[in-house]
Amino acid sequence: MGVIKKIVNWGRIKSPWVLHFNTGACNACDIEIIASLTPRYDLERFGVVLKGTPRHADILLCSGPVTRQMEERLKKIYAQMAEPKFVVAVGTCSCSGGVFKGCYNVKEGIDKVIPVSAYIPGCPASPKAIIDGVVKLLHSLEEEESK
Amino acid sequence: MHDPKNKFRIPMGPQHPALKEPEGFSVALKGEKILGVEIRLGYNHRGIEKACEQRSYVQDVYLIERICGICSHTHSTCFVQAVEEIAGLIVPERAQYIRTIIGELERIHSHLLWLGVAGHEIGFDTLLMYSWRDREIVMDILAQVTGNRVNYGMNTIGGVRRDISKDQAADVLKAMDLLEERTKYYIEIATQETTIIKRLKGVGVLSHEDALRLDAVGPTGRASGVRRDVRADDPYAAYGKLNFDVITSNHNDVYGRTLVRVKELMESYKMIRQALKDIPDGPITVKAPRNIPAGEALSRYEAPRGEDVHYVLANGTDKPERVKVRAPTLANVQAVKHMLRDRFLADMPIVIAAIDPCFSCTDRMVSLNEEDHSHLLRWDELRAYSIKWHRDNMSIDFSGLNKKLMDRIK
Amino acid sequence: MKKVEALRDELVKNFSFLDGKIGIPRPRRVFVEVGQDKFEEVFVWAKDKQDFSHLCTITGLDENDRLILIYHLAHDSGVLLNIRTSVPKSDPRIKSIIKYFPGAEIYERELEDLFGAKVEGLPEGNRYPLTDEWPKDEHPLLKDWKPKSA
Repeated sequence: MGVIKKIVNWGRIKSPWVLHFNTGACNACDIEIIASLTPRYDLERFGVVLKGTPRHADILLCSGPVTRQMEERLKKIYAQMAEPKFVVAVGTCSCSGGVFKGCYNVKEGIDKVIPVSAYIPGCPASPKAIIDGVVKLLHSLEEEESK
Repeated sequence: MHDPKNKFRIPMGPQHPALKEPEGFSVALKGEKILGVEIRLGYNHRGIEKACEQRSYVQDVYLIERICGICSHTHSTCFVQAVEEIAGLIVPERAQYIRTIIGELERIHSHLLWLGVAGHEIGFDTLLMYSWRDREIVMDILAQVTGNRVNYGMNTIGGVRRDISKDQAADVLKAMDLLEERTKYYIEIATQETTIIKRLKGVGVLSHEDALRLDAVGPTGRASGVRRDVRADDPYAAYGKLNFDVITSNHNDVYGRTLVRVKELMESYKMIRQALKDIPDGPITVKAPRNIPAGEALSRYEAPRGEDVHYVLANGTDKPERVKVRAPTLANVQAVKHMLRDRFLADMPIVIAAIDPCFSCTDRMVSLNEEDHSHLLRWDELRAYSIKWHRDNMSIDFSGLNKKLMDRIK
Repeated sequence: MKKVEALRDELVKNFSFLDGKIGIPRPRRVFVEVGQDKFEEVFVWAKDKQDFSHLCTITGLDENDRLILIYHLAHDSGVLLNIRTSVPKSDPRIKSIIKYFPGAEIYERELEDLFGAKVEGLPEGNRYPLTDEWPKDEHPLLKDWKPKSA
């Protein structure tokens, strides 16, 4: 897997702790996120650890186009995360609303509510794309750090 | 802080009254016992039905597929069936068989997904790894046949968009053989491991009478002896031509719901084999008109979670007048409230998981309300409480089983 | 095995006013139209005397100045009886059927939120599916409702 080579640098970055939050999605991306933690894709092997609380998370993995009911909770969770913190929009509808653009009860994307650091499109985003996206984010952070 | 009197942790983090968000579950509690549960839904209400009226039927197929990422084929098939009925289209038999095969593959992935989630809820985490590893076999097949792991885009109005080749069919059959072997082991675990039996029996009880009165659907209803399955009662696609058993149980509890699902997996393997053997040659689609003549139809489909219902009203244009969707989980809300009344709080995670709710349903905040105070818990805190409670009060510990399964994975 | 033609005959026999108001578009599907005044009678008859023991859902429809309600009942044999009734939008009151089908509560709340139906007999409870902040007089599934921009 070519991804492994990209990950080699990772070891130097503190293992990111990740909080997964669904803002009203259809669940496809959520399941692909969890699937990326199962043996076949095994995100954990790269140091990514799923955490239950915003207080311990470095990265917020968000799915869904943000429904009205979930908007406040999303803001609250983001507020509870300590800096530095990063938000990843997983799946096309969390990037732009996707197929739900124009639906009356959605905000049409995570970045309409909180700042987003990385966008992983796909409907749903596949586990490989998720890993690739998270790796890219960490790489860009590493570059930032070395400046 | 730890109050020894009621053993609950005080909620973490500041509560901003300005940032109020509705909890998913509001539990009236007395000590460790649940007096009643209020369930707040609508967290994934997007406004899809309204959007359907503003899009063409073809666009709606893709929108409706994304109502739920676990049963996307369910929703898209249920919808196109209604439209095809109104338009008087005769869908070719080959397409009906292909829809059936994809539908059963979807059931398999969904039930295996559920098995993992259920394991996670009770502290049997290796089951999540194990069952989702098997689930990947189905995901590969689905990706191979349809082009995507989820949201397959198989349906169009009038048939299906892709055919199944002989090679693909052969791969599907191989996958069925492998999965059948693995599933036999799940049935073994479910029926022979005392830890599982002890943990799940007598939990979330729903008597047969209550299941009927509260109109429970899917495996939840069938586990209480309610012999309803749309595939058998109101056949659609190719189900009228297949031989299969409707799986029921008289356990009336979470254990029964588990047994029903693993046995349904075995039926799905049989059905797919049959369908691949009997599938006739021929076209996979008929041409559908752009404008659907005025009319209405009620379409039903047996989703992995239970009965899915779509009502479509057409007005002669290329856009529907009305599309109404009732997904299965909504039908089980009353039943699950009933199952929790008078039970231990520690039962809650698996009881809710056992109706196979929308995956993120269990991502919701839980408000515990006693006479003089309230606590807000995250779902994972409730789960941790439940696992600890069962360890302390019933000596139920999954570390042995976790290790046993771990050794098998290697 | 319930036959739809037999059901139609029974309906007409018991409720002569239904003659001409019954449609059978395909096997296992019956559509019938009933005024509000006779709705409960027909509904209860279907449930108790004809064993339509499962309520699939209740569909709301906006038709000009009337709010249409379709109650979809299923029989174990697979037959679906779809009972259509209506109320004026100016006075959209309907009686709750939760005493017959407790599961109907969530479908009735949905009619209140999305169509502005006023369901008499619902207990205290959360609205569904809209948020508490959503204005109580805005009903998104009404035809003349348009989302405000952002």
